[in-house]
This record gives sequence, C-alpha cells and structure tokens, in this order.
Amino acid sequence: MDVLVFSENPHLAAELLSAGAGLAAASGGRAYSVEADSVRQGTHGNALLLRSEVPLLGDPALLAEAISAARKTKVAPVVLIGSTKTGRMVAGGLAVLDQLCVLSDVRDLRVDGGRLTGTRGVYAGKFNALVGGPLPSIALIPQGSYEPFSEPSGPVEEVRVTTGPPKVSREELRSSAKSSLDLRGAKVIVAAGRGLKAKEDLAIVQRLADALGGVIGASRPLSSDLGWLGEEYHIGLTGVYVHPDLYVAVGISGQIQHVAGIRDSKVIVAINRDKQAPIFQVSDYGVVGDLYEVVPALLRALGRP
Amino acid sequence: MNIAVCVKHAVDEGELRADTSGRPQLQGALSKMGSFDRNAVEEAIRLKESNGGSVTVVCLGGADSKKTLKEALAMGCDKALAVASARALDALATSYYLSRALKKAGPFDVVLLAEGASDTYHGLVGPMLARWLGLPFLGFARKVEVNGSKVRTEAALEDRAESYETVLPAVISVVSEVNTPRYPTLLQIMQAAKKPMEEVTVESLTDEGAPKFGVTVGDVVVQSVDRKKLVFEGPAEETSRKLIDALRKEGLL
Ligand SMILES: Cc1cc2nc3c(=O)[nH]c(=O)nc-3n(C[C@H](O)[C@H](O)[C@H](O)COP(=O)(O)OP(=O)(O)OC[C@H]3O[C@@H](n4cnc5c(N)ncnc54)[C@H](O)[C@@H]3O)c2cc1C
Repeated sequence: MDVLVFSENPHLAAELLSAGAGLAAASGGRAYSVEADSVRQGTHGNALLLRSEVPLLGDPALLAEAISAARKTKVAPVVLIGSTKTGRMVAGGLAVLDQLCVLSDVRDLRVDGGRLTGTRGVYAGKFNALVGGPLPSIALIPQGSYEPFSEPSGPVEEVRVTTGPPKVSREELRSSAKSSLDLRGAKVIVAAGRGLKAKEDLAIVQRLADALGGVIGASRPLSSDLGWLGEEYHIGLTGVYVHPDLYVAVGISGQIQHVAGIRDSKVIVAINRDKQAPIFQVSDYGVVGDLYEVVPALLRALGRP
Repeated sequence: MNIAVCVKHAVDEGELRADTSGRPQLQGALSKMGSFDRNAVEEAIRLKESNGGSVTVVCLGGADSKKTLKEALAMGCDKALAVASARALDALATSYYLSRALKKAGPFDVVLLAEGASDTYHGLVGPMLARWLGLPFLGFARKVEVNGSKVRTEAALEDRAESYETVLPAVISVVSEVNTPRYPTLLQIMQAAKKPMEEVTVESLTDEGAPKFGVTVGDVVVQSVDRKKLVFEGPAEETSRKLIDALRKEGLL
C-alpha cells in the first residue's frame, strides 16, 4: 500500500514522511512526499513531483486538484496532510474530489482491516475520541507527532497534472522571519497571556525565556485580537500544538482551547495572580502572584536581573 | 446581495463534564451557537448593512438547532433554514447536505461560515462546501471587503498574512478577530419569532451524489490530567525560589 504525504511546511512534510513510511512498510508499499512546482531542498525519501501549467503552491484549491489528479496514476489509499490552515483547505478539497474520509488532527495512526484509525481531541481537547474511516482516507496530522524522516533522498518521480485555472488571486502581506517551527521544536517555552498590561511588557517575558534558554509564545488574544505578536506565536487548539520539556504560562487563565495545545509538555508551570485560575489544575508547579513581581523575582533568583 | 451564513449548534465545550466512567455527559449538556459562528453571523449582517440584500442563516443538526437559528435571526438575519439531521454527520456529509440546501434556497453571492466549530474544530466544512458548490474558497478571513462584484479578504496563516481576491459568488470562512458580535435586544429577540424559518430534512436532500460512508467516532474518553499541581503562595522572593528549586530537581535548569 502506497502513501502520499503533503505539507507546504517542509519540516512537517518530513514528519509525515516518517508516519507514511511506517504505514506503508507494513504492506510492502512506499511513502511519497508530494512536491508541488519543484522539489524542495532537504526533502528526503521518495518524492512525487507534481508538474502543472499553473503554479500550485499557495493555492489550496489547485493543490487539491493536483493531488487528486496524481492519485489517478499513483494509487495511494492513504493520504497524510500536515494539519495547518493550508493543509485543512487542501484536505477539504481533495476529500470532495476523490470522495475520501478525513480524520483530522489524529495521532496513533493505524491501518487495520481496510480502515485508517487514530485518536483525536474533541470538545476543545478535553476528551479524546477514537476515530476511523474506510480506505481510501485522508489524515490531517499535527506537527510534532512523528520524528522527521532522516533516510537519504530517494528517486523523484514526476507526474504531469492538469488543474482548472486559479479562482483566487493571492498576495503576501507579511511574511514572518521566525516560523512557528521554533515554537514547535522548542525545549523551553515561556508563554504570555492577557495578564500582561501592555505590549512593552512582553520584554520581561522574553527576558525570562532567555534566562531559561527558551523562546516565547502566547495565548490567542495576544496574537489574534491584540496583535502584539504574530500568528506564529499563537499556541492552542486554533494555533500551534507544542511539546516542550518546560512550559511556563505567564498571565494565562488556562481556558481549554489554550490547554489543548500544551498537553504534551513535560512540565507545566503557571504564574497567575488568581488562585482559582484553571491553569493551576493542569500545571505541575504554580506560583500565585502578580507576574510583575514574580517574573522579576525569578530573574533575580536565576541570577539574571 | 444574497448572503447565506452556516452555523452549528454546538455542545458548550467549556461546561461539558465527564461522567464517572470518563465519558462526556452529553445528555442534558448545555449547547449553544458555536463561538466562532457568532462572528460569521455578525459578518453576514454587516455585509447586508453595507451592501443591502438579505441574510439566510442555515444550520444542520438536531431539533436543538432551532435555538441557534432563532438567536441568529434575533441578531439580524432575515430567514432561517433548518437542515434536520437525526444523527451526527461528519464534515464530508455535513458539507454535502449544506451545499444541497444552499443550492435549493439560493443562489447566494456570499456564503459565510466560521473557521471551525467550537466543539469539534475540524475546519473542513468550509473548503468542502466551496468544492461541492464549485465556488472559490477564501479561508480564515480576519477582514472581508466586498466591492461590487469582487471580494477581498485578509487571512493570517501560521507564518504569514495574505490577501485574497476573487469574483463573487464565493465561500468565506472567518476567524474571531474579524469583528465583535452584537447582542440582540429584547425587541429583536421578540421580533425574531416572526421571521420565517423553513425546514428541510437530510433525507429529502439525499441523492446519488451523497457520500456513502463516513468517519466513525468510537469511544470518547476524558483526557487524563496527570500533573503534580503543586502551588506556591506567598511573597514573590520566596515563591520564585521554591519554583527554581523545583525546576532544578526536575533537571530542567
Ligand atoms: C473555538 C475556540 C478556539 C480557541 N482557540 C484558542 C487557542 O488556540 N489558543 C488560545 O490561547 N486561546 C484560544 N481560544 C480563546 C480561549 O478560550 C481564551 O479566551 C484565551 O485562551 C484566553 O487567553 P488568556 O488566558 O491570555 O486571557 P484571560 O483568559 O483573560 O486570562 C488572563 C489571566 O491573567 C491573569 N492575570 C491578570 N493580571 C495578572 C497579573 N498582573 N499577574 C498574574 N496574572 C494576571 C488573570 O488572573 C487571568 O487568569 C479559543 C476560543 C474558542 C472559542
């Protein structure tokens, strides 16, 4: 059984390739990394290059059409797609075109008796559900679920695909120098929430992150509603899922949608002035106090005033 | 302008509790219009206010869906369409029946919905719906501007912001920062009762193109939280020292 994997994010694509290779190996098949427009640097494993008249990357609808076209020549009962906003749009389009089930945000992926199964969080991650669909199926997989594929690059097969004309014209407004990858791969994350009074105060959170050898992240309101930080910092259900060794929530209440993204952290620390804040229920260590006192005190205790 | 907005009547995920066996206590659980769906309804009403036309709110679900439809009518939608489904459907089937219902009730210039449902958050119905309808999809909009026959949106993806433009009709999904949803007045709530509400069933919309299989959901169990929950209280100098000690013991410093 062959498996196709696609993500516009090369690191996620490498992880999907591991997942795909694992599923394919059991049945003597292969996993192919689907590459659009050109083969990316650093792609490992077997690649399936989609050659089309119109550029595909950046247009989820066209990518869906192209992958659908490729599936006519390369029979692949399982398609793994990276769980990003683009990935969701590609998966949605492809599912309708090829009449496929989509398991979204699944882990512990298995092929069993002609079915693809996995587990996913539901009700904002409060519960876990076992989900499954008959083959052929698509699975959307969040970053950090598998180790990146590290075997040497294999052969590149090319397929010519035809798609409809692009329906949406697209323009990049702001590209981030820092990708959310830093967050996804980070060992230490100090995340800021609405407990911060002003954007400038992110500086003390950054200082704590530096002192702990980590990077900063944020709850959704800071990146989305307030716009103090870019979208790539947004942790949780609708943002990035992280799995650091140490996660420090500073002025974050711990609403389930945020917690959904931090469950896989090894150690969770919360700093919040409200003893009743739900974040303490999901933390290993909590400090009840004003962050404007606690964070400076921590910096002093770490010898980094 | 003929506008449709699709909403979901969702379990209130914040209030949902586990029973003694760790399964969600869905019987008698609170339910409400999906959190982001309120933003989609608000955006639909704003588009009507600035461009004229009418808004039809569509909800696929069980009998409870009418509560959500009434709320959307009270906010300012003009008509409601309930797509009655006795069982929970997956994204492919949901989007299919919504597309059939919209085709019957349409044509629409703009179909709005939220980026995802607050209880399941698949984020798939939008792009699927667009594909079933053969329309362009503008996803994750935080800004929507209609200009004559064109629409322009701005979206924040994980690592960049983009703007999209297309010719109407189109399907657009919105994120929460697109607007602040209004609360209906008492008068509006009363008036909503008089607004038209139609109902169709999933069965009546079933034809040969309907998906014949779906995602099955097996056991649903509560995520175990296995945390130490050690909380330090007191002067900051003291609590921070205790925290640092604890992190040293964990081998994290
Ligand atoms: C469908 C859906 C999806 C969502 N997805 C996400 C997501 O992916 N990620 C996400 O983060 N959110 C998400 N949200 C939003 C989420 O529900 C919360 O609104 C959000 O996480 C709250 O952010 P916060 O904790 O920073 O702010 P608040 O909830 O306002 O909490 C601020 C906290 O700071 C504390 N505080 C205030 N001042 C101080 C001080 N001086 N010192 C110490 N503590 C202080 C307060 O006690 C409070 O606990 C989603 C919501 C919905 C409906």
